[in-house]
Amino acid sequence: MQSVQHMVRTGRRGPMHEFSMAFADLRASLDRIGLAWSLAKHDIVSRYRGSILGPFWITLSMGLMVAGIGFLYANLFKVPVNEFIPYVALGIVVWGMIANVIIEGCGTFVQAAGILSQSSLPMFTFVWRTVMRNVINLMHHLVIIVGVLVYYDHWRQTDVLMGLLGLLLLLLNISWISLAAGIASARFRDIPQIVGSVVQFAMFMTPVFWLPGGRLLDHAVLLLNPFYHLLEVVRAPLLGNPVDVRTYIFMVILAVVGWAGAFTTFALTRRRIVHYL
Amino acid sequence: MKGPEISIRVTDLTLRFPVYGVDAKSLKKHLAAITVGGKLGRTGMGATEVTALSNINLQLKSGDRLGLIGHNGSGKTTLLRALAGAYEPDEGTIDVHGQIAAMLDLNLGIDPSATGLDNIRLRGRIAGLSAKEIEERMQEIAEFTGLGPFLAMPLKTYSAGMQARLAFAVATAVHADVILMDEWIAVGDADFQKIAHKRILELMERAGILVLASHDLELIRLYCNKVMRIESGVASKVMDVKKLDELLAAA
Repeated sequence: MQSVQHMVRTGRRGPMHEFSMAFADLRASLDRIGLAWSLAKHDIVSRYRGSILGPFWITLSMGLMVAGIGFLYANLFKVPVNEFIPYVALGIVVWGMIANVIIEGCGTFVQAAGILSQSSLPMFTFVWRTVMRNVINLMHHLVIIVGVLVYYDHWRQTDVLMGLLGLLLLLLNISWISLAAGIASARFRDIPQIVGSVVQFAMFMTPVFWLPGGRLLDHAVLLLNPFYHLLEVVRAPLLGNPVDVRTYIFMVILAVVGWAGAFTTFALTRRRIVHYL
Repeated sequence: MKGPEISIRVTDLTLRFPVYGVDAKSLKKHLAAITVGGKLGRTGMGATEVTALSNINLQLKSGDRLGLIGHNGSGKTTLLRALAGAYEPDEGTIDVHGQIAAMLDLNLGIDPSATGLDNIRLRGRIAGLSAKEIEERMQEIAEFTGLGPFLAMPLKTYSAGMQARLAFAVATAVHADVILMDEWIAVGDADFQKIAHKRILELMERAGILVLASHDLELIRLYCNKVMRIESGVASKVMDVKKLDELLAAA
């Protein structure tokens, strides 16, 4: 139990002060990361209360999609099923994670309006809540990935370590996008719709369930598409394929630039966010 | 307890609300302002500022129980929220030593379809207890609510008074030094008023600080030893509660 706590709140004292307060918020959220986890867990439990399968409903529907698209496209594109299904399975599951963290990021602060307007909880807690909620969902969907990799005897090639590194890079990147979406959606009510459309558009532009080949392989549509790199950094090692070094470079630069931008926005709007809601 | 004394110090606190009109919230206005070259002027930014609190000065120490009075919309709740750390001041400083428990809204972190017990866990976590501490105190909290078997029922089946019992039980389980309370506490029945009264007295024995906003002067007389009146964001001096009538007459 903490002893006497100390809270100081002051008016604006220049940008440096805003940044240090934003860092304090980030640090406080990490000190109490268990709270974000509890909230995320509660979200899942409460969303699926009374349901028999719970989050496995989504796993089930993803599984159906994998089977449907897998067999259909494997026939259309004339690629072997045992190669294509693991590819599609990983594509759909990882894409689901990317899309949901970004889309649900729009509601991060809006849904926490009640708590934010009467407590001094760190705002970053709610960003982690959104991310962790989707990590929990991902753990349910692992059933599909493990199942498919084992069934098609693909698991021997799987590089779990690099896959986890990829997942870390992926989370690092989608969490700043989620934060940015959260701030923007709190201020402008049009943002969630825009984010929804962009994510859907990106799904078709990204090789989630089609194989890039031929002249597309080194095309700008892939190389400049951040979603392609976000997906590949996790999918390739799990399929046992090497990850292009450009993907790692892209991921690191995207994380640094993205966090710098999103964090600056957060620092400058932090004291206003609660009034937007 | 070591460390600095429990205290609240507010200096020259000014708080302005930007009111973002429904129109101004739409991105269209912003984009339009850019394309038309800022001709839309002030509507482009859309925010009208309302000064909710201006130049508030307040010093409280252990054992102080401050009653806030004032008309609807005078800034009582805003001041409580600022003290809770939710609203950042535009000018001035708020400096609070001590663990704060804010009981401003019954619905804080409430999930209507979860059971009473789950809601205790959730609210306890939000209030700053660890999962372990909650389980340790669960028995005590559950007893204090007096809800018995209803704790296993979803919260949506509760009446407002029952919700208040639950909220109050969890909020005061945090061994807070500073309790901020809006007047919803009055919703409980006579039984509950009695146990709540006991709890507040316990808190006072621990030499905490209570800030209570209420329209009910009897409630203020009962719990508070000091009183402050807020009128359109401007606060009176902090006075002894015995001078409450003077304060009311002065307005």
